[in-house]
Amino acid sequence: MVHRSTSAKLGVGIGLRAPHVAEMLATRPAIGWLEVHAENYMGEGAPLAALERLRADYPLSVHGVGLSLGSAEALDNRHLSRLQRLRARLEPTFVSEHLSWSMARGVYLNHLLPLPYTEETLAVVAQHVIHTQEVLQCRLLIENPSSYLRFAHSAIPEPEFLGELVRRTGCGLLCDVNNIYVSCCNLGDDPVTYLDTLPACAVGEIHLAGHAVNDADGQTILIDDHGAPVSDAVWALYGHALAHFGSVPTLIEWDTHIPELAVLCAEARTAERFMQRTEEEGYAGVA
Amino acid sequence: MPALRELQAAFLRAMFGPDEPELLETIVGDALPPAARLQIYRHHVLTSLTEVLQTTFPVVCRLVDERFFRYAADAYIRQYPPEAPCLFEYGAHFPAFLAAFPPCRHLEYLADVARLEWAMHTAVHAEVHMPLDPAELGGLAPHDVAQLTFEFDPSVTLLDSPWPIDQIWRVNQAGEEMHAPIDLSAGEGALEIRRWEDDVVFRRLDPAIYTFRTTLAAGHPLAMAAEAALAACQEFDCTAALHELLTDGVIIGFTL
Repeated sequence: MVHRSTSAKLGVGIGLRAPHVAEMLATRPAIGWLEVHAENYMGEGAPLAALERLRADYPLSVHGVGLSLGSAEALDNRHLSRLQRLRARLEPTFVSEHLSWSMARGVYLNHLLPLPYTEETLAVVAQHVIHTQEVLQCRLLIENPSSYLRFAHSAIPEPEFLGELVRRTGCGLLCDVNNIYVSCCNLGDDPVTYLDTLPACAVGEIHLAGHAVNDADGQTILIDDHGAPVSDAVWALYGHALAHFGSVPTLIEWDTHIPELAVLCAEARTAERFMQRTEEEGYAGVA
Repeated sequence: MPALRELQAAFLRAMFGPDEPELLETIVGDALPPAARLQIYRHHVLTSLTEVLQTTFPVVCRLVDERFFRYAADAYIRQYPPEAPCLFEYGAHFPAFLAAFPPCRHLEYLADVARLEWAMHTAVHAEVHMPLDPAELGGLAPHDVAQLTFEFDPSVTLLDSPWPIDQIWRVNQAGEEMHAPIDLSAGEGALEIRRWEDDVVFRRLDPAIYTFRTTLAAGHPLAMAAEAALAACQEFDCTAALHELLTDGVIIGFTL
């Protein structure tokens, strides 16, 4: 279970990336918590040793990107047991993964690939989430992906699909507000309706990041590159999310064109101000 | 409506191959055509894996320039796509691939530079072990000593090249001015790459020491390693070489 009363106090964290590790160790800035990509720490040596030092001062979240919960094939048990060993070693506050797939026929496609939202997919993902939670002995938070296409036979809207996944597996949700904005713009959906459809009590974590605005064949397409400041539209949607979900622990992600650590910390401060304002105004008042 | 397994198999083919009409028909195409939507995924899969290789092999990238590197990486990714999600383990076949890749056949040292970079990369993530305390070998009879075999620290790679790959590596570090051209006939480099505290380091070994250590690293007993080293160099001093090996911290265990 995610205990909202304690986890809410985490406030705002940042995604820990390799270029910032030395500065984090040296300066220990006032950041609520840290999140790392699980796959980057499945080896030994200096990266894991540095993380174990930081873990003494910051609550930690382990965010998997490679488990491929949406694969029609069986889960990669070797990978799952590596994730379990990492969880046991780091004892993170949260463990999260994605509503997506990336493995097929023994090939790992380094991307969070889209799923058709059907009863078949729901059964597959639910089975994989249940199995993963059994192996890890903890509740998973499942993140909504950023999408660039929709399958014609997708019958279930994504937020309803996630709600049903929560109901079947007891998992929580990692609500990536930027992904909602990116997907809704790319697929012609309404991001506020999307947010309002998610089961609020299941949301244990929020992600925020920047995106790129690209042109494809004369059509604007948003690319979730985590390479820019959080956009104004996403901040506004974040305000709505806080009003709807409460002060959920929030993370700033930045993965391409990684700036100085201070820039990430400043983004975290902005998110904290949103959180404070929501708490002052009361959740219902902001909506 | 394709079953999920078939849909994912078709999607996988499309990431490394041309669009298939059956797959395009499953994708909603309002505002942007299905092929353009699929292309966004294909582009990300290939460019993100290219970036992984670029991060692991920065000197190779600098030697061939970024444009050629992307071209070689694209061919490599199609031939050897990743088989698991931990991408710090991706790229093991890249040196051998470069050695056989016709467009860079004239850069004969390139594959060995890639081997050096791969060895440095794997040393970063290798399992951490305490070095063997030499005192543990005290009191062994001479016959037992001759039969000793050693377990090397998993971060250690011994690498021999006909090219001065250590010099090539050093002058191609970011921020390093391009020096006078390296004399490629300046001689071979037998290198030992290993983790040292939080860093990865490499150094040249003289030919006899290199032979001694590679023979031991292959699991052969001390007597055989000493013989091989003596064959390489008549002045080889086995006692000194063994002392150096044990005090270097590269040995983590032994068997009798």
